[in-house]
Amino acid sequence: MPQLTYLEAIRQGIWEEMERDPTVFCIGQDIGIYGGAFKVTDGFIDRFGPERVIDTPIAESAIVGAAFGASLTGMHPVAEFQFMDFIGCAFNQIVNMVAKAHYRWAAPAPLVIRGPSGGNVHGGPFHSQNPEMWFVHAPGLKVVCPATAYDAKGLIKASIRDNNPVIFFEHKYLYRRIKEDIPAEDYIVPLGKARVAREGRDLSIITYAAMVHLALEAAETLAREGIETEILDLRTLSPLDREAIARTVRKTNKVILLHEDVRTGGMAGEIAAVIDEEAFDDLDGPVVRITAQDSPVPFSPPQEEFFLPKVSDVVREARRLRSY
Amino acid sequence: MATKKKIKGNTRNSASSNGRRTGQLPPASQRTYTIADYRLEKPDFTLRQVRNGAAIRYEVEGHLAAEVPPIRESKYLNKQQCLDIYRWMLLNRKMETALENLYKQGKVVGGVYFGLGQEACSCASAYALKADEWLGPMIRNQGSLLVRGFSPRDIMMQYMAKAGSPTKGRDASSHFGDIQKHHVVAPISTLGDLIPVLAGVALGARLQGRNIAVMTYIGDGGQSTGVTYEGLNFSAVQNLGLVLFVENNLWGYSTPADMQFRVKDLAERAIAYGIPGVIVDGTDACQVYDAAHEACQRARRGEGPTLIEAKMMRMKGHAIHDAAEYVPKPLFEYWRKRDPIARFERYLLSKKWLTSGDNQKLVADVERQLEADRDYAVNSPMPKPESAAGGVYCENGCHEIKPKYGVPKVKTGPAIAHDSERAMHLK
Repeated sequence: MPQLTYLEAIRQGIWEEMERDPTVFCIGQDIGIYGGAFKVTDGFIDRFGPERVIDTPIAESAIVGAAFGASLTGMHPVAEFQFMDFIGCAFNQIVNMVAKAHYRWAAPAPLVIRGPSGGNVHGGPFHSQNPEMWFVHAPGLKVVCPATAYDAKGLIKASIRDNNPVIFFEHKYLYRRIKEDIPAEDYIVPLGKARVAREGRDLSIITYAAMVHLALEAAETLAREGIETEILDLRTLSPLDREAIARTVRKTNKVILLHEDVRTGGMAGEIAAVIDEEAFDDLDGPVVRITAQDSPVPFSPPQEEFFLPKVSDVVREARRLRSY
Repeated sequence: MATKKKIKGNTRNSASSNGRRTGQLPPASQRTYTIADYRLEKPDFTLRQVRNGAAIRYEVEGHLAAEVPPIRESKYLNKQQCLDIYRWMLLNRKMETALENLYKQGKVVGGVYFGLGQEACSCASAYALKADEWLGPMIRNQGSLLVRGFSPRDIMMQYMAKAGSPTKGRDASSHFGDIQKHHVVAPISTLGDLIPVLAGVALGARLQGRNIAVMTYIGDGGQSTGVTYEGLNFSAVQNLGLVLFVENNLWGYSTPADMQFRVKDLAERAIAYGIPGVIVDGTDACQVYDAAHEACQRARRGEGPTLIEAKMMRMKGHAIHDAAEYVPKPLFEYWRKRDPIARFERYLLSKKWLTSGDNQKLVADVERQLEADRDYAVNSPMPKPESAAGGVYCENGCHEIKPKYGVPKVKTGPAIAHDSERAMHLK
């Protein structure tokens, strides 16, 4: 099996869908001859032609609006945001035009909005954000955050095939840093289903995207102290896999919620409430949150290091929780 | 239309085909900028904000006693088509009267929005579209919804929040649409957002091998939004068949048009986008239709978008609660004389395409239709409370997504492996 990076896996997934289904097309800035700012669509214009790989003006509201309009005629657009930080420029189209379409007037919006999010790349406040919660908060959207190359390919394919609008957050730190065996054959990973990234019995870390790898690293340290950590990779934030969350809490009774997004209004608060609803009686300690601080993402490397969750944070909190 | 001179030798081809087929544009120094104007009169007055006693209010001055010109003969419409459009306008007007009555009887939930004085613009424009082309109506284009095949009862049930409304009670007024038969994109409350969406519909159709006309509207107020610019610019650069009616009805809620923009005519904006611009008298159904038809034909030939400014006035307030007292009375007088339905009736009578007996029969027929629809709508049930649940996602096979115009023809080139490691934005 070939080893592909997270980015190459996404590229392969979109490519395969464009081969399989002539209604799939890409639209975004610099995705044509340039192949995309991160090269996700490298080679696409040569293969699929400029009709299906459309370079647009710098107009995010128009990109999303046009993708929605095309989807009304039965196309499956894949709209790229050069950085997901810029998704604010299309916020109204996404949340008011697209997300509400099926509920209000029975118009499905089978489009995918995808792009790089996340920090730890010295990108500063506007190239490092994790804006997922703005869209988890809007009913009608699906929000996907893959952590592995295998999942990235399977989830992008599933997202393209989904009848609903999917916001697909690709963690840019993972783009070229992780590599995995990727099956050559067609496979999908279903939306709305979490994955146990590591089995454990002493405590659970519920997390997603780049923090899955941080959790795995912390788990190695903790294992040497005899603490066996279960790691649940959410994969999809909306719809959330409540059963998987309940199952891991029932199993270990102690939970750390870890995300790279800022603390207030982040996914951890939502998951804590879900745990309260689904498995309160199974808790043997408080639900702990490890998140970035409530600020914009600072630019200078020592500041960004302070801003982001660290392995040492996870190890410290796990030890504390273990002895609660 | 803005004329394009053919220049031999120095033609500039588009850098990327992108399906656009922009053809050959003359170099910028040689382009001419002419905005076609179909009007037979050019209203000439100014609005001023003055202190009148204690209060600040608007006053109008100018040539308000001008004679009402005749309807301009259409280049395309035959007798039957004119009578069709006239009937649609009557249905539009009388439906809104019925809605107002329903409101006063306490049967409407929320407010009512009127397109009084704008019926020619709504009806004659939509009349130019084919059945498999798409429309995106704005709040005062309820007449266009009728032309597209929705019934007065659909709109009444929307206002009364009934279970049988096109949105099953989930949204109000003209916020509905249909992807299967009527090809109408439902608006949302924010303005200009339909423009990129209709552009996208045209893009989808083109990818499936069809150049279609798509039509939507924006007001003198609404056109101030950023998404209006983005959508129209996108349509222009992608050469999509968007027919945009800018309905300059002089008021955006309580704000006069000249506090929304500085240009003399909104059609001039077409120059900035590089597309043809046309001005029509929005109270003249023939002018509206002719401009719409020509724009639709251009769209169908793959020649891209057109901006049509329809000038008229909003003859009621923003919504039923708004008495529009900020509008100077002489303006109402001026535009009342230019009522689109009265003008068209006179026109049809003068051409002997309508007799006064025919007219009476037509009006009675329309009123009968509305009476039946009103009774149906009033007697239809409210939704069950639990019907609010569900439908947030499209799931469990509730819709099958299929290309509307045909499976796109696929042309695949080679699969080239590139060296992707070199130019990378952030490592």
